Amino acid sequence: MYTEAWEAEWERVLWKKKPYPDNYVPRSFLASLSKNPNFRPYTYWHLVILSCPISQHLASIFVFLAVFMRLQQRLLDPRVLVWISVGVFMAGYLAWELLECSRADSQTRYTNRAKTLKASILVFLALMSLSPVLKTLTAATSSDSIWALSACLFILNALLADYTPMNPRSHQRERLTSVLSMNAAISSSVVLASRLSDDLSVFGLILFSVQSFALFPILRRRIQDTAKVLQVALTVLISTLSLALTYPLSNTAAYIYFACFTFVTFIAPAVLVWAQRYKNEIRGTWDPAVPKVNRRFSFSR
Amino acid sequence: MGFNIAMICDFFHPNVGGVENHIYMLSANMLRRGHKVIVITHSHPPDRVGIRWLLPSLKVYYLPYPTIASSATLPNYFAFLPYLRSIILREGVQIIHGHAGLSSLAHEGILHAHLMGVRTVFTDHSLFGFDDAASILTNKLLEAALRNVDAAICVSHTGRENTVLRARLLPDIVHVIPNSLVADQFKPAPSPPSGDTITVVVVSRLAYRKGIDLLIATAPRICALFPNVRFLIGGDGPKMIDLLQMREKYLLQDRIEMLGPVRHSDVRDVLIQGSIFMNTSLTESFGIAILEAACAGLYVVSTKVGGVPEILPEDMISFANPDEDDIVRAMSEAIRLVSAGKHDPHKAHERVRGFYDWRDVAQRTEAVYESIMKSQPYDFWTRMHRTLDLGPVAGIIFAIILVVDCLFFMFLEWWLPEDQLDKVQMHWTPERFQEVVEEYET
Repeated sequence: MYTEAWEAEWERVLWKKKPYPDNYVPRSFLASLSKNPNFRPYTYWHLVILSCPISQHLASIFVFLAVFMRLQQRLLDPRVLVWISVGVFMAGYLAWELLECSRADSQTRYTNRAKTLKASILVFLALMSLSPVLKTLTAATSSDSIWALSACLFILNALLADYTPMNPRSHQRERLTSVLSMNAAISSSVVLASRLSDDLSVFGLILFSVQSFALFPILRRRIQDTAKVLQVALTVLISTLSLALTYPLSNTAAYIYFACFTFVTFIAPAVLVWAQRYKNEIRGTWDPAVPKVNRRFSFSR
Repeated sequence: MGFNIAMICDFFHPNVGGVENHIYMLSANMLRRGHKVIVITHSHPPDRVGIRWLLPSLKVYYLPYPTIASSATLPNYFAFLPYLRSIILREGVQIIHGHAGLSSLAHEGILHAHLMGVRTVFTDHSLFGFDDAASILTNKLLEAALRNVDAAICVSHTGRENTVLRARLLPDIVHVIPNSLVADQFKPAPSPPSGDTITVVVVSRLAYRKGIDLLIATAPRICALFPNVRFLIGGDGPKMIDLLQMREKYLLQDRIEMLGPVRHSDVRDVLIQGSIFMNTSLTESFGIAILEAACAGLYVVSTKVGGVPEILPEDMISFANPDEDDIVRAMSEAIRLVSAGKHDPHKAHERVRGFYDWRDVAQRTEAVYESIMKSQPYDFWTRMHRTLDLGPVAGIIFAIILVVDCLFFMFLEWWLPEDQLDKVQMHWTPERFQEVVEEYET
């Protein structure tokens, strides 16, 4: 009987004297609550495409491991590996040039090319002179420790890698995690190199690791920004390559890799799409407002 | 005869702030209404330790707990029990009133209360979101602490909605009792500020959540639009540097005065130098600073966030969206209104005095105490079931805490039996005090 009168009297104010008790729950209670206000559901195939970079990165690690095994078991001539590395570098650089040609003017491209040439010769010579040192660097450590350490470093590399596309127009700085990721992979290949027998193998392996963990991610992020077809093709190519290289060495490892790729590309997106039904984002008047400032000052929390 | 109440909170005098002031004023007014009130908080070494008395015969226990950050103690769930048991039994406390969502001492007091047959009330003073890791964790802790609370109090309707969602409480045990202020401490200046100059006052912690970015963006624009406006900014915080940079960049050193940290007792003296109070907070549970400014006779311009729209009638405050252009619009309107002399400080003061009064707050809080003392407490198994309902992981953790707490209490009962404790003897009652005062005066 009171409730009707109270409901009519109720106001969302604190300064008025009111007839209803302090714990009266009005009908408008929680009226301002909104659930999932900016909710955009993911679609399955979109997520599958987005997962391609992860597969590519994992595949590049697997290819590297297969190459290392072949070198160690002397199934692969290190000279061939050096030539392959040089060839892959040329192909990659060509692809980069093709992607770049739409953008920069000829003068900048010319200077960039000169810079790249200088840097690649420097790295090539430095690695060549350092390879005897790298070979003996961790030679005294027992193999068990080396396997465990390099496994940890590769996991770290995969976890911290930057899987976002690189937008060439915004000159964003490299994130700390992606630098750490690259360092982890290079250190891992340095410790693995100490298990090899001759200097040329060490040189070939390190050169290949620079290709796969320093240069390839840059190209990968650049490709991510462009065509989807190219990206899918690259993923299929490199995944198949990793499986093909691993299968003769160990079929168990190849099956595990295959399971890995299937999970990352097809199962994980499905799980994410399924998990969206549990999304429950609550918004209301109590949320801190977002200040709208016409950009003149940079502000941070 | 009144109740014996223990206010428990990590945040109390000698710290200063909204919560601290609220507890002190509520306790003082409860004492006036004939209840017995004690306050339990953590110590502030080296000198603020042990038991102290504050002015209107308010006894404060400073317990020896180290703090971790911003004067909050580490939530440990058990270490408080030996102290609390002795205090509660010696003082004969009937009601534990915990304050503030981030005070682990208050949470722990509510957890232990049922062992001694004490009833519990909790006052939540702030708003929290739901979407970051820290909020998720603290909301779960709050939910666990308030699982078996008898009643909760929030300071605004928005705060109530927030607390009901965060702690998953039934809305009818949550009461809305606003904060209040002592109107006499915020009297407007006897004569209004003279001359053409209009002073805009900002008194706030200079932090992101207080919307200082909006202040930084709007102040130069307002100064450019109105040559007769000057700013007076009180407070300190991480955004101080940005404010100083803004002042330097626009060469406004003579029009924007920065006062640095302002003591609460000096706030009125700062406020009465101006005629408009500007508040740009991004979130605010109650907005006591706005109320103090309105009481001191200033016209208020504020962002429309949280509980701010509830505290004053619309003709005493003008609202803006948290958006640079809209704040400039609202400020321009306010400056025109004040320069036309359409705002009477003394009338505003009288109106605020009529709206808020600590005696009213104390009376309404007393009604909450009465209602919980009449209700039936949960028995142990109901508590256990309710605790297990917290969730598949948290439920089990907190059920274990509940059981270990009971065992710890049994150990304390054996180690320090209740009949060996010295009960506190009170020789003074408010009536006796009144009699003595009257005898002295005649």
